[in-house]
Amino acid sequence: MDAEAIKMLAAGLAMGLGALGPGIGIGILGYGAMQGLARNPEARGPIQTNMILAIALAEAIGIYALIVAIILAMVA
Amino acid sequence: MAEPKKRGCLGCSFPLFIVIVIIVLALIILGFLSGAIGQVMFPGLELPEWLTASSPEPHLPAPELFHVFGLPITNTMLAGWITVIFLAIVSWAVTRRMKLIPGRLQMVFELALGWIYDLCKSIAGEENGRKFFPVVCTIFLFVLFNAWLSLIPGFGSIEITIHGHHYELIRGSNTDVNTPLAIALVSFVFVIFYGLKNARMDFVKQYLNFGPFFKSIGRIFKGKLDVMGIFEGAIQIFVGGLEFLSLLIRNVSFTFRLFGNMTAGEILLLIAAFLLPFVMPLPFYVLELLIGLVQALIFSLLTLVFVTMAVTPAHGAESH
Repeated sequence: MDAEAIKMLAAGLAMGLGALGPGIGIGILGYGAMQGLARNPEARGPIQTNMILAIALAEAIGIYALIVAIILAMVA
Repeated sequence: MAEPKKRGCLGCSFPLFIVIVIIVLALIILGFLSGAIGQVMFPGLELPEWLTASSPEPHLPAPELFHVFGLPITNTMLAGWITVIFLAIVSWAVTRRMKLIPGRLQMVFELALGWIYDLCKSIAGEENGRKFFPVVCTIFLFVLFNAWLSLIPGFGSIEITIHGHHYELIRGSNTDVNTPLAIALVSFVFVIFYGLKNARMDFVKQYLNFGPFFKSIGRIFKGKLDVMGIFEGAIQIFVGGLEFLSLLIRNVSFTFRLFGNMTAGEILLLIAAFLLPFVMPLPFYVLELLIGLVQALIFSLLTLVFVTMAVTPAHGAESH
Protein backbone atom coordinates (compact mmCIF):
# COMPACT_ATOMS: atom_id res chain seq x y z
CA MET A 1 0.00 0.00 0.00
CA ASP A 2 1.20 3.50 -0.75
CA ALA A 3 1.08 6.37 1.69
CA GLU A 4 -2.16 7.83 0.29
CA ALA A 5 -4.06 4.58 0.77
CA ILE A 6 -2.84 4.23 4.33
CA LYS A 7 -3.90 7.81 5.05
CA MET A 8 -7.40 7.15 3.78
CA LEU A 9 -7.57 3.89 5.73
CA ALA A 10 -6.46 5.68 8.87
CA ALA A 11 -9.11 8.37 8.43
CA GLY A 12 -11.84 5.80 7.94
CA LEU A 13 -10.69 3.73 10.90
CA ALA A 14 -10.46 6.80 13.12
CA MET A 15 -14.02 7.78 12.32
CA GLY A 16 -15.45 4.28 12.54
CA LEU A 17 -13.79 3.28 15.79
CA GLY A 18 -14.34 6.73 17.26
CA ALA A 19 -18.07 6.54 16.58
CA LEU A 20 -18.38 3.23 18.46
CA GLY A 21 -18.13 4.63 21.96
CA PRO A 22 -20.46 7.62 21.55
CA GLY A 23 -22.95 5.36 19.78
CA ILE A 24 -23.10 3.02 22.76
CA GLY A 25 -23.23 6.01 25.11
CA ILE A 26 -26.12 7.65 23.29
CA GLY A 27 -27.93 4.33 23.22
CA ILE A 28 -27.60 3.96 26.98
CA LEU A 29 -28.72 7.56 27.47
CA GLY A 30 -31.80 7.06 25.33
CA TYR A 31 -32.58 3.85 27.20
CA GLY A 32 -32.35 5.62 30.53
CA ALA A 33 -34.46 8.55 29.36
CA MET A 34 -37.15 6.27 27.93
CA GLN A 35 -37.33 4.31 31.17
CA GLY A 36 -37.57 7.51 33.15
CA LEU A 37 -40.33 8.74 30.84
CA ALA A 38 -42.26 5.50 31.11
CA ARG A 39 -42.12 5.59 34.88
CA ASN A 40 -42.83 9.28 35.20
CA PRO A 41 -44.47 10.80 32.13
CA GLU A 42 -45.06 14.15 33.86
CA ALA A 43 -41.31 14.80 34.01
CA ARG A 44 -41.06 14.90 30.23
CA GLY A 45 -39.60 18.43 30.00
CA PRO A 46 -36.63 18.14 32.37
CA ILE A 47 -35.85 14.61 31.22
CA GLN A 48 -35.76 15.70 27.60
CA THR A 49 -33.54 18.73 28.27
CA ASN A 50 -31.11 16.74 30.34
CA MET A 51 -31.09 13.90 27.83
CA ILE A 52 -30.26 16.25 24.97
CA LEU A 53 -27.50 17.84 27.06
CA ALA A 54 -25.96 14.49 27.94
CA ILE A 55 -26.30 13.22 24.38
CA ALA A 56 -24.48 16.28 23.08
CA LEU A 57 -21.70 15.64 25.60
CA ALA A 58 -21.38 12.05 24.39
CA GLU A 59 -21.58 13.16 20.80
CA ALA A 60 -18.67 15.54 21.30
CA ILE A 61 -16.36 12.54 21.65
CA GLY A 62 -17.45 11.30 18.26
CA ILE A 63 -16.86 14.79 16.92
CA TYR A 64 -13.25 14.67 18.16
CA ALA A 65 -12.76 11.51 16.11
CA LEU A 66 -14.36 13.26 13.17
CA ILE A 67 -11.91 16.16 13.45
CA VAL A 68 -8.99 13.75 13.47
CA ALA A 69 -10.43 11.95 10.46
CA ILE A 70 -10.97 15.21 8.56
CA ILE A 71 -7.46 16.38 9.33
CA LEU A 72 -6.04 13.03 8.26
CA ALA A 73 -8.00 12.95 5.04
CA MET A 74 -7.68 16.56 3.95
CA VAL A 75 -4.83 18.35 5.63
CA ALA A 76 -2.15 15.87 6.63
CA MET B 1 -58.15 13.87 -1.36
CA ALA B 2 -59.75 11.11 0.66
CA GLU B 3 -62.48 13.49 1.82
CA PRO B 4 -64.34 14.90 -1.14
CA LYS B 5 -65.95 17.69 0.86
CA LYS B 6 -62.66 19.28 1.82
CA ARG B 7 -61.37 21.52 -0.93
CA GLY B 8 -57.65 21.64 -1.51
CA CYS B 9 -54.79 19.82 0.10
CA LEU B 10 -52.42 20.78 2.93
CA GLY B 11 -53.90 24.23 3.12
CA CYS B 12 -53.38 25.12 -0.54
CA SER B 13 -55.99 25.18 -3.25
CA PHE B 14 -55.80 22.13 -5.49
CA PRO B 15 -54.21 23.68 -8.64
CA LEU B 16 -51.59 25.39 -6.49
CA PHE B 17 -50.82 22.11 -4.77
CA ILE B 18 -50.30 20.37 -8.11
CA VAL B 19 -47.97 23.13 -9.27
CA ILE B 20 -45.94 22.85 -6.05
CA VAL B 21 -45.72 19.06 -6.41
CA ILE B 22 -44.55 19.40 -9.99
CA ILE B 23 -41.91 21.95 -9.03
CA VAL B 24 -40.64 19.76 -6.18
CA LEU B 25 -40.53 16.69 -8.42
CA ALA B 26 -38.69 18.64 -11.12
CA LEU B 27 -36.17 19.82 -8.52
CA ILE B 28 -35.67 16.27 -7.28
CA ILE B 29 -35.06 14.94 -10.79
CA LEU B 30 -32.87 17.88 -11.74
CA GLY B 31 -30.91 17.55 -8.53
CA PHE B 32 -30.49 13.85 -9.05
CA LEU B 33 -29.21 14.34 -12.59
CA SER B 34 -26.88 17.23 -11.80
CA GLY B 35 -25.48 15.79 -8.57
CA ALA B 36 -22.60 13.42 -8.17
CA ILE B 37 -24.79 10.29 -8.01
CA GLY B 38 -26.56 11.07 -11.27
CA GLN B 39 -23.31 12.02 -12.96
CA VAL B 40 -21.89 8.61 -12.17
CA MET B 41 -25.03 6.71 -13.16
CA PHE B 42 -25.57 8.50 -16.48
CA PRO B 43 -22.12 9.44 -17.74
CA GLY B 44 -23.33 10.32 -21.21
CA LEU B 45 -25.66 13.06 -19.96
CA GLU B 46 -24.56 16.58 -20.91
CA LEU B 47 -25.82 19.35 -18.64
CA PRO B 48 -24.97 23.05 -18.78
CA GLU B 49 -21.91 24.08 -16.80
CA TRP B 50 -23.75 26.07 -14.14
CA LEU B 51 -26.02 23.15 -13.26
CA THR B 52 -23.45 20.51 -12.45
CA ALA B 53 -22.24 20.43 -8.88
CA SER B 54 -18.50 20.79 -8.59
CA SER B 55 -16.74 18.71 -5.97
CA PRO B 56 -16.59 20.47 -2.60
CA GLU B 57 -13.35 21.78 -1.15
CA PRO B 58 -13.77 22.49 2.54
CA HIS B 59 -11.04 24.59 4.12
CA LEU B 60 -10.14 24.11 7.76
CA PRO B 61 -7.88 27.13 8.41
CA ALA B 62 -9.47 30.47 7.71
CA PRO B 63 -7.67 32.47 5.00
CA GLU B 64 -6.51 36.03 5.60
CA LEU B 65 -8.46 38.47 3.49
CA PHE B 66 -6.71 41.75 4.21
CA HIS B 67 -4.79 43.56 6.91
CA VAL B 68 -5.97 46.39 9.12
CA PHE B 69 -3.03 48.12 10.84
CA GLY B 70 -1.00 44.94 10.46
CA LEU B 71 -3.76 42.84 11.98
CA PRO B 72 -4.84 40.02 9.66
CA ILE B 73 -8.60 39.87 9.06
CA THR B 74 -9.94 36.44 8.19
CA ASN B 75 -13.30 35.59 6.69
CA THR B 76 -14.53 34.03 9.93
CA MET B 77 -13.69 37.24 11.80
CA LEU B 78 -15.89 39.15 9.37
CA ALA B 79 -18.75 36.76 10.08
CA GLY B 80 -18.21 37.13 13.81
CA TRP B 81 -18.44 40.91 13.54
CA ILE B 82 -21.56 40.60 11.42
CA THR B 83 -23.09 38.54 14.23
CA VAL B 84 -22.09 41.14 16.81
CA ILE B 85 -23.54 43.98 14.76
CA PHE B 86 -26.69 41.98 14.09
CA LEU B 87 -27.17 41.27 17.79
CA ALA B 88 -26.54 44.90 18.69
CA ILE B 89 -29.05 46.16 16.15
CA VAL B 90 -31.66 43.61 17.18
CA SER B 91 -31.31 44.39 20.86
CA TRP B 92 -31.49 48.12 20.09
CA ALA B 93 -34.63 47.58 18.03
CA VAL B 94 -36.21 45.46 20.72
CA THR B 95 -35.48 47.75 23.65
CA ARG B 96 -36.11 51.01 21.82
CA ARG B 97 -39.78 51.21 22.62
CA MET B 98 -40.49 48.76 25.40
CA LYS B 99 -44.11 48.43 26.36
CA LEU B 100 -45.89 46.84 29.26
CA ILE B 101 -47.95 44.87 26.77
CA PRO B 102 -45.22 43.60 24.43
CA GLY B 103 -45.41 43.62 20.68
CA ARG B 104 -44.40 40.63 18.60
CA LEU B 105 -40.64 41.14 18.50
CA GLN B 106 -40.43 42.08 22.15
CA MET B 107 -42.48 39.05 23.12
CA VAL B 108 -40.20 36.63 21.28
CA PHE B 109 -37.15 38.02 23.01
CA GLU B 110 -38.86 38.17 26.38
CA LEU B 111 -39.79 34.53 25.99
CA ALA B 112 -36.28 33.45 24.98
CA LEU B 113 -34.45 35.49 27.60
CA GLY B 114 -36.95 34.56 30.28
CA TRP B 115 -36.39 30.91 29.50
CA ILE B 116 -32.62 31.23 29.87
CA TYR B 117 -33.12 33.30 33.01
CA ASP B 118 -35.29 30.62 34.60
CA LEU B 119 -32.71 28.00 33.61
CA CYS B 120 -29.97 30.08 35.28
CA LYS B 121 -31.98 30.45 38.45
CA SER B 122 -32.88 26.76 38.59
CA ILE B 123 -29.23 25.69 38.30
CA ALA B 124 -27.30 28.39 40.17
CA GLY B 125 -29.94 29.45 42.68
CA GLU B 126 -31.87 32.69 42.99
CA GLU B 127 -29.10 35.15 43.80
CA ASN B 128 -26.22 33.61 41.84
CA GLY B 129 -28.42 32.96 38.83
CA ARG B 130 -29.13 36.68 38.61
CA LYS B 131 -25.42 37.41 38.77
CA PHE B 132 -24.35 34.86 36.15
CA PHE B 133 -27.17 35.50 33.72
CA PRO B 134 -25.53 38.24 31.58
CA VAL B 135 -22.40 36.29 30.66
CA VAL B 136 -24.24 33.01 30.17
CA CYS B 137 -26.88 34.64 28.00
CA THR B 138 -24.28 36.50 25.93
CA ILE B 139 -22.43 33.27 25.23
CA PHE B 140 -25.71 31.61 24.30
CA LEU B 141 -26.81 34.35 21.92
CA PHE B 142 -23.40 34.75 20.28
CA VAL B 143 -22.93 31.04 19.61
CA LEU B 144 -26.54 30.62 18.52
CA PHE B 145 -26.57 33.47 16.03
CA ASN B 146 -23.12 32.58 14.75
CA ALA B 147 -24.52 29.19 13.89
CA TRP B 148 -27.86 30.35 12.54
CA LEU B 149 -26.63 33.30 10.48
CA SER B 150 -24.25 31.05 8.59
CA LEU B 151 -27.22 28.92 7.51
CA ILE B 152 -28.81 31.81 5.59
CA PRO B 153 -28.61 30.98 1.87
CA GLY B 154 -26.00 33.16 0.22
CA PHE B 155 -23.99 33.65 3.38
CA GLY B 156 -21.08 31.50 2.23
CA SER B 157 -21.58 31.68 -1.52
CA ILE B 158 -19.71 34.92 -2.24
CA GLU B 159 -16.34 33.75 -3.48
CA ILE B 160 -13.06 35.58 -3.68
CA THR B 161 -9.70 34.46 -5.00
CA ILE B 162 -6.52 34.74 -2.97
CA HIS B 163 -3.26 33.42 -4.39
CA GLY B 164 -5.13 31.31 -6.92
CA HIS B 165 -7.39 29.61 -4.36
CA HIS B 166 -11.11 30.18 -4.07
CA TYR B 167 -12.38 31.14 -0.64
CA GLU B 168 -15.67 32.29 0.81
CA LEU B 169 -15.84 35.97 1.67
CA ILE B 170 -17.66 35.28 4.94
CA ARG B 171 -17.79 31.94 6.71
CA GLY B 172 -19.55 30.96 9.92
CA SER B 173 -17.42 32.18 12.79
CA ASN B 174 -17.76 28.96 14.77
CA THR B 175 -16.02 26.97 12.04
CA ASP B 176 -12.70 28.60 12.91
CA VAL B 177 -10.91 27.11 15.93
CA ASN B 178 -10.04 30.54 17.26
CA THR B 179 -13.59 31.73 17.95
CA PRO B 180 -14.61 28.76 20.14
CA LEU B 181 -11.22 29.02 21.86
CA ALA B 182 -11.86 32.69 22.60
CA ILE B 183 -15.31 31.98 24.03
CA ALA B 184 -13.88 29.08 26.06
CA LEU B 185 -11.23 31.40 27.51
CA VAL B 186 -13.90 33.95 28.39
CA SER B 187 -15.82 31.28 30.26
CA PHE B 188 -12.58 30.07 31.91
CA VAL B 189 -11.74 33.54 33.21
CA PHE B 190 -15.36 33.98 34.30
CA VAL B 191 -15.26 30.75 36.32
CA ILE B 192 -11.94 31.59 37.98
CA PHE B 193 -13.00 35.17 38.76
CA TYR B 194 -16.18 34.15 40.53
CA GLY B 195 -14.45 31.21 42.20
CA LEU B 196 -11.81 33.52 43.67
CA LYS B 197 -14.32 36.21 44.54
CA ASN B 198 -16.94 34.09 46.27
CA ALA B 199 -15.13 31.03 47.63
CA ARG B 200 -11.67 32.62 48.09
CA MET B 201 -9.33 30.16 49.81
CA ASP B 202 -11.71 27.23 49.34
CA PHE B 203 -11.41 27.66 45.61
CA VAL B 204 -7.62 27.72 45.69
CA LYS B 205 -7.53 24.82 48.13
CA GLN B 206 -9.44 22.75 45.63
CA TYR B 207 -6.43 22.81 43.33
CA LEU B 208 -3.42 23.45 45.58
CA ASN B 209 -4.02 21.35 48.65
CA PHE B 210 -0.65 21.32 50.45
CA GLY B 211 -2.05 21.90 53.92
CA PRO B 212 -2.58 18.35 55.25
CA PHE B 213 0.76 17.17 53.84
CA PHE B 214 2.88 19.82 55.54
CA LYS B 215 0.88 19.50 58.74
CA SER B 216 1.80 15.82 58.89
CA ILE B 217 5.45 16.61 58.07
CA GLY B 218 5.45 19.18 60.85
CA ARG B 219 4.21 16.58 63.27
CA ILE B 220 7.45 14.59 62.79
CA PHE B 221 9.40 17.35 64.55
CA LYS B 222 7.04 17.08 67.47
CA GLY B 223 8.15 13.47 67.77
CA LYS B 224 5.07 11.90 66.22
CA LEU B 225 5.57 9.93 63.00
CA ASP B 226 2.23 9.96 61.20
CA VAL B 227 2.80 7.83 58.10
CA MET B 228 -0.85 7.63 57.13
CA GLY B 229 -1.19 11.42 57.45
CA ILE B 230 1.74 12.04 55.13
CA PHE B 231 0.39 9.51 52.67
CA GLU B 232 -3.08 11.06 52.68
CA GLY B 233 -1.60 14.54 52.30
CA ALA B 234 0.38 13.41 49.26
CA ILE B 235 -2.77 11.91 47.77
CA GLN B 236 -4.64 15.18 48.35
CA ILE B 237 -1.90 17.10 46.51
CA PHE B 238 -2.21 14.64 43.66
CA VAL B 239 -6.00 14.98 43.58
CA GLY B 240 -5.65 18.76 43.54
CA GLY B 241 -3.31 18.45 40.56
CA LEU B 242 -5.85 16.30 38.77
CA GLU B 243 -8.57 18.87 39.44
CA PHE B 244 -6.34 21.60 38.08
CA LEU B 245 -5.63 19.52 34.98
CA SER B 246 -9.33 18.98 34.40
CA LEU B 247 -9.88 22.72 34.78
CA LEU B 248 -7.44 23.31 31.93
CA ILE B 249 -8.65 20.44 29.76
CA ARG B 250 -12.20 21.81 29.95
CA ASN B 251 -11.08 24.60 27.62
CA VAL B 252 -9.83 22.15 25.01
CA SER B 253 -13.03 20.17 25.25
CA PHE B 254 -15.17 23.34 25.02
CA THR B 255 -13.23 24.49 21.97
CA PHE B 256 -13.29 21.29 20.01
CA ARG B 257 -16.89 20.42 20.82
CA LEU B 258 -18.18 23.62 19.27
CA PHE B 259 -15.63 23.76 16.47
CA GLY B 260 -16.12 20.11 15.55
CA ASN B 261 -19.89 20.26 15.54
CA MET B 262 -20.03 23.40 13.44
CA THR B 263 -17.34 22.31 10.98
CA ALA B 264 -18.91 18.89 10.64
CA GLY B 265 -22.26 20.54 9.91
CA GLU B 266 -20.71 22.77 7.27
CA ILE B 267 -18.99 19.85 5.56
CA LEU B 268 -22.14 17.75 5.81
CA LEU B 269 -24.12 20.45 4.00
CA LEU B 270 -21.40 20.74 1.35
CA ILE B 271 -21.34 16.99 0.74
CA ALA B 272 -25.15 16.80 0.68
CA ALA B 273 -25.32 19.61 -1.86
CA PHE B 274 -22.66 17.84 -3.89
CA LEU B 275 -24.36 14.42 -3.93
CA LEU B 276 -27.93 15.53 -4.55
CA PRO B 277 -28.41 19.28 -5.00
CA PHE B 278 -31.62 21.14 -4.02
CA VAL B 279 -33.24 18.23 -2.18
CA MET B 280 -30.79 16.45 0.07
CA PRO B 281 -29.47 19.54 1.93
CA LEU B 282 -32.99 20.46 3.13
CA PRO B 283 -33.31 17.94 6.00
CA PHE B 284 -29.72 18.65 6.95
CA TYR B 285 -30.50 22.36 7.16
CA VAL B 286 -33.21 21.55 9.71
CA LEU B 287 -30.73 19.34 11.56
CA GLU B 288 -28.19 22.17 11.57
CA LEU B 289 -30.75 24.55 13.07
CA LEU B 290 -31.27 22.07 15.90
CA ILE B 291 -27.53 21.45 16.34
CA GLY B 292 -26.81 25.18 16.52
CA LEU B 293 -29.40 25.56 19.28
CA VAL B 294 -28.14 22.52 21.20
CA GLN B 295 -24.49 23.56 20.97
CA ALA B 296 -25.26 27.10 22.13
CA LEU B 297 -27.28 25.67 25.00
CA ILE B 298 -24.50 23.27 25.97
CA PHE B 299 -21.80 25.92 25.86
CA SER B 300 -23.73 28.30 28.08
CA LEU B 301 -25.13 25.65 30.41
CA LEU B 302 -21.73 24.04 31.00
CA THR B 303 -20.27 27.45 31.77
CA LEU B 304 -23.10 27.97 34.24
CA VAL B 305 -22.59 24.56 35.85
CA PHE B 306 -18.84 25.08 36.17
CA VAL B 307 -19.18 28.52 37.68
CA THR B 308 -21.78 27.22 40.11
CA MET B 309 -19.39 24.45 41.09
CA ALA B 310 -16.59 26.98 41.58
CA VAL B 311 -18.74 29.21 43.78
CA THR B 312 -19.81 26.33 46.04
CA PRO B 313 -16.70 24.11 46.25
CA ALA B 314 -17.29 22.78 49.76
CA HIS B 315 -19.36 19.80 48.66
CA GLY B 316 -16.74 18.54 46.23
CA ALA B 317 -13.91 18.90 48.74
CA GLU B 318 -15.70 17.05 51.51
CA SER B 319 -16.57 14.04 49.46
CA HIS B 320 -12.90 13.08 48.97
